[in-house]
Formats: sequence, structure tokens, C-alpha cells
Amino acid sequence: MQHFKTRIVQSALFLSLIVWSFSCKTKTGSSGINDKGAFDISLIDTVLTGIVTAELTDPPMVPKPLEYSSPKTVMVELEAVEKVMRIADSTDYLFWTFGGTVPGKFIRVRQGDLVDFTLKNMPDSKVSHSIDLHAVTGPGGGAEATATAPGQSTRFQFRALHPGLFVYHCATGPVGLHIANGMYGLILVEPQGGMSKVDKEYYVMQGDFYTDGKFEGKGLQNFNEQAAIDENPNYVLFNGKVRSITGKNALPANVGETVRLYVGNGGPNLVSSFHTIGEIFDKVYVEGGSAVNNHIQTTLIPAGGAAMVEMKLEVPGVLNLVDHSYYRANSKGAVGQIKVSGKENPSIYNKIRK
Amino acid sequence: MKYLLTILATAFLGVIYAQPKGVLSEKKMVPIPAGIYDPFFIKTSPVPIKVAAFKLDESAVTNLEYLEFVKANPQWRRSKVNRLFADSNYLRHWESDVSIGINNKDIYNSPVVHVSWFAAQAYAKWKNKRLPTVQEWERAGIAPPKDSKIKSVVDYIAKWYSIPSPKVLPNIKSTYENTYGLHDMHGLIWEWTFNFNSFIGTGDSRGNTEDEIKAFCAGGSINVKDKSDYAGYLRFSYRVSLKGNFCIANLGFRCAKDN
Amino acid sequence: MKSFLYTLFICSILISCGSNEKKSAFEGEVMNEHPTAPVGTIPDQSIYMLTDSFQTQNNEKIILKQFAGKPTVIGMIFTHCDYACPRLTADIKNINKVLNAEEGKVNYVLISFDTERDTPDVLKKYADNLRLGNDYTLLHGSEEAVRTLSILLNVQFQKDAEGNFSHSNIISVLDKEGLLVSQKEGLEANHDLSIASLKGMLK
Repeated sequence: MQHFKTRIVQSALFLSLIVWSFSCKTKTGSSGINDKGAFDISLIDTVLTGIVTAELTDPPMVPKPLEYSSPKTVMVELEAVEKVMRIADSTDYLFWTFGGTVPGKFIRVRQGDLVDFTLKNMPDSKVSHSIDLHAVTGPGGGAEATATAPGQSTRFQFRALHPGLFVYHCATGPVGLHIANGMYGLILVEPQGGMSKVDKEYYVMQGDFYTDGKFEGKGLQNFNEQAAIDENPNYVLFNGKVRSITGKNALPANVGETVRLYVGNGGPNLVSSFHTIGEIFDKVYVEGGSAVNNHIQTTLIPAGGAAMVEMKLEVPGVLNLVDHSYYRANSKGAVGQIKVSGKENPSIYNKIRK
Repeated sequence: MKYLLTILATAFLGVIYAQPKGVLSEKKMVPIPAGIYDPFFIKTSPVPIKVAAFKLDESAVTNLEYLEFVKANPQWRRSKVNRLFADSNYLRHWESDVSIGINNKDIYNSPVVHVSWFAAQAYAKWKNKRLPTVQEWERAGIAPPKDSKIKSVVDYIAKWYSIPSPKVLPNIKSTYENTYGLHDMHGLIWEWTFNFNSFIGTGDSRGNTEDEIKAFCAGGSINVKDKSDYAGYLRFSYRVSLKGNFCIANLGFRCAKDN
Repeated sequence: MKSFLYTLFICSILISCGSNEKKSAFEGEVMNEHPTAPVGTIPDQSIYMLTDSFQTQNNEKIILKQFAGKPTVIGMIFTHCDYACPRLTADIKNINKVLNAEEGKVNYVLISFDTERDTPDVLKKYADNLRLGNDYTLLHGSEEAVRTLSILLNVQFQKDAEGNFSHSNIISVLDKEGLLVSQKEGLEANHDLSIASLKGMLK
């Protein structure tokens, strides 16, 4: 890919300036908010200790937890790829993606890291792309610095100030179309000290799709703009394809394990009533932030929002993940599965056979 | 001084090369009557923009046509071109400096792509023409297809977006002809315009300056006149992401001329 | 001198071939009537590769290459602008002030978007009103020259039906050879980096 001509964007200094002025305000304004409220201002003065390249993963996988304890410069490179893929078993769609998958590659950094971000747009792309990462403090969430023509690349840096799970998406006009075509993903900013340890982590992201043909209509399908305006999708999907994480592709786990799902919602239109049939979320990091709610049946995930949900698996079986706005699960594809293996535990669940 | 000499030498060679002419027939130009350009982005000014009558090439400049230019103007050869004026992708689909390649016969009459704005400008000048402005191009491009079977330009473009880029770029006049008699205004390639760097703010900037806020905010939709014209959006977003020396696989040009 | 002779030689060939109907577009650029222009090689990536000529506020014809030899601060404006351009000009004046260099060490160049109304005389008045000193050059150019320069400097601009311009506000710093050293977008932006690079070049 030596043909990409890197465009060095001047935003680094600008960003640090914003960061600096913001920190001043925080200092004078309110010293009390620290652990839950504003980010820890001392972060910005922390010296960065080395450069690492971020591990990026395709859904449903999540990069390994980070092991470093002091902020680093993290190199991230994503490619905007326009690509025909299956949206259903016999239906194709020209997706616009970050990294060739829907959702795009999962990015994992740590609070305080300086993220050095490069966006490449593949030479055979038809249109320009950009990226707005909701984890960015700065103009357009990076979109301002990353308007990228086919075959070109752009670059900017941002400081990951706030911990949490954030959506990123293409922000090139018309934004709705880019999102409707699949251009979104998640970036996790681990809090200092990292996330608590769990046994399994998976990446699930919902999106709504609008095609000319009906649900699972055969062949290559066109985008249907009127359906998008009417917010009337023919597909509501986890990870960009009907049955992407069901059956043989179900997310594997074992009895006794704690599973954490990083759940995002790209939209562009619908809000998700995310629910797991047959489990209760022990913990929900509400809206992907620091607040933890316990014992949750269904959590609302807004378009352009995310949440982390955790459940300890007590009994074997198949757990269906659904958008509990039920016809989406029924008729539009919004179903995923966790396949739990292990020993039955009749004291928790016992089916009485007559 | 070196540069000046190059120009001079070029001009000299250009004269020599231009001798065996008439290999390709002159491209037909189509008259576009004077009219009003309805800006895609509503500006602060309520006054409609008048576009004077002009002429526009009926189709995009082809590889063969561009080859003549390159032969006549050695500083626009792939190995000679200044990177300030054309990036490293310049004419990368050609076999060599002055050959499209015998294996590339299929694209002889396809639009030349991987050409920069500066290259397109130089070609137009060489032809005693110029690049159309955004206003001219958009005004010419909005005309409906002659073929009434194609319902609307927007639908046609939507189809183009919904299929992958072809492996081999089709020839000119392979899409539709519009009522002015222009071919392939949409659905084949993007085209350079003289003032592609017209100010509309960045693609999705929430704006830093007041000017920018006026021009573009909230994901770039508040000030858009026709919110259903998403093809228009894509064109403007595309132009915003360009720099003058970019050479891109789906970006070519056609020339204009004053009446 | 040798190259000048060479130029003459080429010119004479050109003239002798002048009857050919297809003239090279570059013939028009055999125009170097600027004996004062510094002779020497300009790097390929230099903005001074732009060979179009401009007119200064003092009605002198100039090509950008004549700015070579000193670092140059460039902004693009139009004088009828009542909002952004006075502020951008003030920003440039402020760079000048903070830099505190001797007169004659740095070029400050303002190029007008408004090829119709901003004649050299109008630019002269603008310069006088804002008390722009001897280091300031205000340029009027052809539509094509101004557009080409804007593209090289990544400045976006657009004329509206009333003849005014929407435009990005960018201050660029070029080194002595015309290479783009730093750029800063925005009004009343922080130009520390630009100033630092200018200081470095003046050492």
C-alpha cells in the first residue's frame, strides 16, 4: 500500500491545546469531581511511556485486555473498505466498512493513552470516508481531520480522556448512508487499572439495514433511501449478517464462566432493547460509562451508543440475544446466541419431566 | 531556472510532437444554455447563482486522448511529473510513460483516471479549453436522462453506489445520455472541477469558525437544500476530501469552454 | 547567464515554429520578465513552482518565486470581508509583532480571493488603512492563479452571487525556498508553532 499518500494533519497541537484549556477549566471549576465525573486531569501531564500498535479484532472477538499501567502512544490504523458481503445466506449487499467487517474492527486503548490514528481509504472505494470516534475530545471526533479520498490516507492524534465503551462511525455526508451501509464499530477506553477480569469477552453490534428487496430476498441488493428515511428497515442485525452469531457461529462459553459482551448500536435509526433470553445481566455498565447497574433484564442501547453487560453462566444451554422490540428478532434478523456448555445444575434450573 | 527550462524544452518538444495530428477526432462539445444554479448547500446569500452559457465536452477525456497530451508535454509523463502537481498514483494504470499498454486495450476509450487537478488543468489549457466550475458541472449534470426508462438521476446514481467498482473501467458513453446530450455525467467516474475546493466546511465538522457553522453543521444536513439528494451529498463530500495533486482510480475530467 | 542564453535559444526555436497551429499551452509561460527573480534551483515541492504572475498593491508585476530567500507568511483574504479577513490580517500582524524581527527579514503576503474588486489600488488602500508596513505584499491575480494557489495552500473558497466569498482561514508559513513549513487554521488561533519555525529560519 505504498501508494497511499499520508496527509499529516495539524490537529495534534490543536487537540492538545483544547485538552490543555479544558483541563484548566476543570482545575478552577470543580476539584471534587474525579472518580465518576470528569476525567482525571493529571492524566494529561503524564509522560507517555513508549509506542505500541493496537491489536485490532474482527467481530465477535475482542482484543486481549491491556497489560500496561502507564499511558502510551497507541498506533491505530483502520481501512475504509467498500465490499460486497453476505447480509443473509443468499443475499449480497455492498457494505461500507472499517476494516472489511460489519461492525468494524474493535479498538482497545487505555485511559490516558495518546491515540495516533490513521485512516486509509482503499483505492477501489467509490466514495470518500472519514471517522468520528465518540471517544475523541476534539472537532468532529476526528471527522474534521479525516476526510479521506479513495486511495488516500489521513492522520490525527487524540488523548483518550474518558474511560468507557464508545461507538465510532463514518462521518462523511450523508452520514446516515455511510452508517446504514455498515460503517461503525466500537472503541473501548479501559479505565486506569483496566477492566475487571472475566472469562470471555465478545463484541456484538446492532445495526439496521435498508434494501430494495424484502428480508432475505435473493441477489445483490440496493440501498433503499426511502425506507431509511421512514426508519423502516428490512434487516435489524447483530454483526451485519442474518445468523452471524447463531448456530455453529454461536458465541461459545462454559458453565461457571463470566461473559462480558461489548454491545454497541450503530443504528442509523433504531434504538435497541438488548436482552438475553434465559439470563439476567449481573452487571450493566450503563451506556458504556462507569455507572454499574445490577440485575438487569433488558438494557436500552441508543443508536450511536453502547453498553457492557456481564453475566455469570450458571446452567448449560443456548442463550438467545435479541432486540426485545420483538418483530426485529422475529422477522428482521436481530438474534444472536451464546452456547453454554457444561453440567446441568437442577438446583438453579430444573425442567420437570412428567 | 531549471523549471523554466523544462517548460521551454517541453514547449519545444510539444511543437514537434503535435505535428502528426488528426489521429483522434476532436471531442464534440455540447452547448449548455445560461441558467440558474441552485446550490446544494444553502448559503447565507439568498441570491440565486447565475451560470452563463458555456460548452462542455460531451464525454470525459479518454486514455487515448490524454496520451496525445502526454506525448506532447513530456513534463506530464509519469516519470517526469512533479509530485507537487500529481501524486505517486499518477497514471499508474498505464504500462509506461507514453504507452497505455497493449493489454489495456479495453480502456483506451475509457475515461482517463489517476490524473490530478493540475494535470486536468494543463490538459484543458493545451486544448484551449478549461475545467468546468462546480456550478457549471452541477447545472449540466442535473439534466434528466434522455431515456425515459431511467426514472431519475438520483436513482441511477444510487444503483452505481450499490454495486462494486468494475475491475475494468467501462468506456465513455456506456451509461446514459442526458437531455443536453452529455454522456456519463453520473455512474462512471467522478470528475474534477475548476473550483473543487469551494468552501463548504469539512464533511462532518461541527464547525470551528462562524463561517463554518453557517455553512455546515449537525452532520452536514441542516443547510442542505434537498435532503433526499444523497448523491449530491456524496459528490460534495468527495470534493471536500480532495487535494489538487491527488490521482484517484475513479476520478477523471472533461473540459469546458466559454461560449 | 548561460541558462539565459539557452532560454533565448529555445525561444528563437519556438518562434520559428510559431506557424504550427497547435501551440503548447506552456508557450505562454515564456514570460520571465523578472530579471530580479533569484536565480537558483527551487525544490520541486516548493509553492514557488507556481509560475503565474500577480500584481502587488504598488502595481508591480511579480511571481511568487521572488519571495524566495526569506521566510514567508501567507494568508488569503478579500478586502470587502467584514468578519474573518480583518481578523486573519490581525493574526498575521500579531505574528509579525511577536516575532519582532527586523524589517526586511520576513515576507508577509496577503492574496485576494476577489479578482474583480481587489485591484492593486484597492489593496493599497487596505494596506494603508491597516498600517501594513514594508514587509507586506498584497497580491491581485487572475482567477486561475488565485485558485491554483488556494489549492496548493489547501485553502477552500467560494464566491457567492453577491460577489463575496466563503473561505477557510489558514495562515501558512513557507521557508526560504517556498516549501510549506506549517499551517494553522482558524481565527485567533495559536500560532506558536508557526512563530517557532519562523524564529528557527531567522537564526
